[in-house]
Amino acid sequence: MIPLAFDETQTSLKQTRSFKFRILFVILVILIVFVGLIARMTYLQWFNHEKYLSQADGNRISVQTLPPQRGHIFDRNQVLLAGNVSNYKLNFRRENIIQFDATFEQLKTLFPEIETSLIDEFSETLRRTPRHRDLPLPYSLTEKQAATFAANRFRFPGITLQAQLKRTYPQNSSGVHFLGYVGRISQADLQRLEARRYRGSEVTGKIGIERAYEDRLHGYPGLQTVETNAQGRVVRILDTIPPKQGENITLTIDIRLQQFIEEKLGDRRGSVVAISPINGEVLALVSTPNYDPNLFVDGITHAEYNALLNNPNKPLINRALRGQYPPGSTTKPFVALGALEQGFTTTTERIFDPGYFEFQDHRYRNWRRQGHGWTDLKRSIVESVDTFYYKMSLDIGVDGLHSMLSPFGFGERTGIDIPGELGGILPSQEWKRRTHGEPWYRGETIIASIGQGYNLATPIQLAQATAILANRGRIIQPHLLKADRDSIQYVTDPEAEAETSDQIPIRSRNHWEYVIQGMIDSVHTPRGTAWNAGRHIKDYQIAGKTGTAQVFSLHDAEYNADELEQRLHSHSLFIAFAPASNPRIAVAIIVENAGGGGRVAAPIAIETIDYFLKELDQ
Amino acid sequence: MTNTWLTDKERNYVKPKTWLARIHIDGLLLLGLIMLLITGLITIYSASGGDLNVTKHHAIRILIAFSLMLAFAQIPPAKLALITPWVFLVGILMLVAVIVFGDMGKGAQRWLDLGFIRFQPSEIMKLALPMMVAWLFAYSRYPAHPARFMLGLFIVGLTAGLIVIQPDLGTSILIAMSGLFVLFFAGLPWKIIVGALFSVAIAIPVVWNFLHAYQKQRVLTFLDPESDPLGAGYHIIQSKIAIGSGGLEGKGFMGSTQAHLEFLPESTTDFIFSVFAEEFGLIGVILLLTLYSLVLLRGLYIAYRAQEAFSRLVAASLTMTLFIYVSVNIGMVSGLLPVVGLPLPLISYGGSSMVTLMISFGILMSIHTHKKMLSN
Repeated sequence: MIPLAFDETQTSLKQTRSFKFRILFVILVILIVFVGLIARMTYLQWFNHEKYLSQADGNRISVQTLPPQRGHIFDRNQVLLAGNVSNYKLNFRRENIIQFDATFEQLKTLFPEIETSLIDEFSETLRRTPRHRDLPLPYSLTEKQAATFAANRFRFPGITLQAQLKRTYPQNSSGVHFLGYVGRISQADLQRLEARRYRGSEVTGKIGIERAYEDRLHGYPGLQTVETNAQGRVVRILDTIPPKQGENITLTIDIRLQQFIEEKLGDRRGSVVAISPINGEVLALVSTPNYDPNLFVDGITHAEYNALLNNPNKPLINRALRGQYPPGSTTKPFVALGALEQGFTTTTERIFDPGYFEFQDHRYRNWRRQGHGWTDLKRSIVESVDTFYYKMSLDIGVDGLHSMLSPFGFGERTGIDIPGELGGILPSQEWKRRTHGEPWYRGETIIASIGQGYNLATPIQLAQATAILANRGRIIQPHLLKADRDSIQYVTDPEAEAETSDQIPIRSRNHWEYVIQGMIDSVHTPRGTAWNAGRHIKDYQIAGKTGTAQVFSLHDAEYNADELEQRLHSHSLFIAFAPASNPRIAVAIIVENAGGGGRVAAPIAIETIDYFLKELDQ
Repeated sequence: MTNTWLTDKERNYVKPKTWLARIHIDGLLLLGLIMLLITGLITIYSASGGDLNVTKHHAIRILIAFSLMLAFAQIPPAKLALITPWVFLVGILMLVAVIVFGDMGKGAQRWLDLGFIRFQPSEIMKLALPMMVAWLFAYSRYPAHPARFMLGLFIVGLTAGLIVIQPDLGTSILIAMSGLFVLFFAGLPWKIIVGALFSVAIAIPVVWNFLHAYQKQRVLTFLDPESDPLGAGYHIIQSKIAIGSGGLEGKGFMGSTQAHLEFLPESTTDFIFSVFAEEFGLIGVILLLTLYSLVLLRGLYIAYRAQEAFSRLVAASLTMTLFIYVSVNIGMVSGLLPVVGLPLPLISYGGSSMVTLMISFGILMSIHTHKKMLSN
């Protein structure tokens, strides 16, 4: 069937001609096709070269943000208050995750401590993220959790462990109220923050110094141009603009003093503000109870936050700046000084105190029922004689009181350099008409003269007023940021500071010394209201004034009977500065519901002053 | 045995053979092949990211294929024609064997494991089928009887059918074409060719209307992969970026970012042209196509000058197969044709197709150098 011999059959001319024609035909086809291919290549490589070149670069070049390291916060002795520690994040890349839902279920099982809602929310976000983009779970793993994950890594393809820097507060709860904290950037934050500066950053300052000096602390992100392969892995770094690290900040706070006071206050509710009268540097700004700012860095859990929020002692409130208390008798030295300067009384005038003052059929009681007897102005400060002020006040009037107290900052915000400060209330006729729509009654002037009634002040205001008094009228501005100079010494020249400060006009220097002497006597003489607290101070003089603020309203909370009783106790106040002749520290303290100022507030303040002058201010 | 229309003088004139011709090598074809193979070696070195191991393997394959080319060049066409039916028969049996006993391991039954060697019988058929069809027409009168064309068509259909059920559609179509080229060169009437093309053109819209929506969608995605940029279209988009970004002069040797950064798939095999185009630009592409043209034109010249039907049919068909490979591959990577797995001849990394190709060039050389007489 198959011929096995090959015969070189002579091809016919016709056949050869047909064949050769077809060869020429296919040569033509080949030429047409090749010309077509070259046309196609010309189209791609010549006419669309730019487009494809940029696509090739877009393919391979990606720009990554290098988030800056947040600046550290130090106290005045360079003790670290806020720094950064490395911690771990879980980085997700969708294209490498094989079983999406199963992965997240396993993750929940492995880390039951991470809130389920956080994981669910994140898994939704991840679904909308480009396949090859890394997305970190907004949760910081502890060393232990990181180790747990590392051991189970094989179960989680597409998830990598990534080390990064996390804000940390090594002093824990100490100083949280001025320091504040950072937290995850919220939608509200995005409204005010410059988006470009926050690319790659996860947190921003929420309150306190962290918020106030956010601009300095945050720094500027760097950029890194990298070449990536098709899997998105970095092959080569082409160009790096390093991030500009956030500035380090030095505060005026002395954390030793801060912690000393915090320890003294213990679990009481209260606030202490200590200021250097020389330059307004805030040496301590205490509000108790406090809480741990580290809780907020990664986003506090709902349970933890509710616990803080519902705590009846209200630890979240910064009492030093937002606690509005009737200043009570602590206003007496200021009123006394005003009365002398404005001629409503003299250093020799005496009045008789029967224990009360009667006006329009109403008895205004002195704190001491049996009265103080014959009393001059100095004694009215030393023993805190209410009657003296009741009497004077009708001559002075509420607007007169206002003019005496307002130069010391009462009724205004101090303008301290952290956010959230509330103003106080220093009533006047105009103020009452404006806010209450009512005229001022003279009876109200009487109680206003001893810092009660409408009067409200914050501890920072009280401290500022005390410092101004200590300065004999030289006005200082409380601040927490240490001036941008190298010196971190306490010794700052008061003369030099004086040149740049405002001064309350002084009619008679003697009036100031007279009032201050009254404050010294209240600490250093047996009849003084702070004698028990200050009797052991021998080698320098403290000028102080106690205060007891009656608690008027508690309509916003329910308490059981015991607690109600406790909550109705007066607040205990004390203001002081020392050494009296050459003041280096001014302190204002309020302890809520602790009774008389001499019993609780004064001892803490005096111990604070003593500790500062003996141990710290060398 | 005698060329009766030649004069004695002509009959006695024998052009002196060059030393190359004496060892049955065609110089021009050799030159084109060597230049293409060196281009391939260089491009593979670059596409593999400077992997000397890969390059070395490719060089070894070139040497093996080159030796086989030289060996086949020594076999006179008459001997090749003699064994053609037997080789074809064995090839068909092996294709059947692949279907029956084929190595299931790879999902497709393309490989036959003979214990000491595993190979694809379809590779043999790339040579055996056109030779078989050529053999069919070598002894027929001209023009051939229509029945012989029918027989040729049957042989082509049988072979392609056996390969398509492996399944390997791409190879099946290419092998079928190599057989159809023989029919074309053997003088298949133009009326039938035009008629067949016309019928296909008519049939497409008719068949289209009978397809289900999902089938239509599949065909559309196949024809326009860029409509699915993350799936089928990804490769072709990246390939076009590679080619286009090369520009006129290219990014230079080893300069392909698309391949080095793994955006380009199969950069050493099916998509090697994209790497070449990215690195050597439009100028390089034109030079490469010129090299291919040299080989193709030389192949067709050999066919043109061949003395008897079997040789000229085989030479023309094998040359056209090379042309189909080149144009389909380049059309594919540049987005003109749907993506089918097909290497760029003589350039792509890969063993068996290189060997088959070089053997076919050996056959071409044999055809050109074993002529009894030169009529010019």
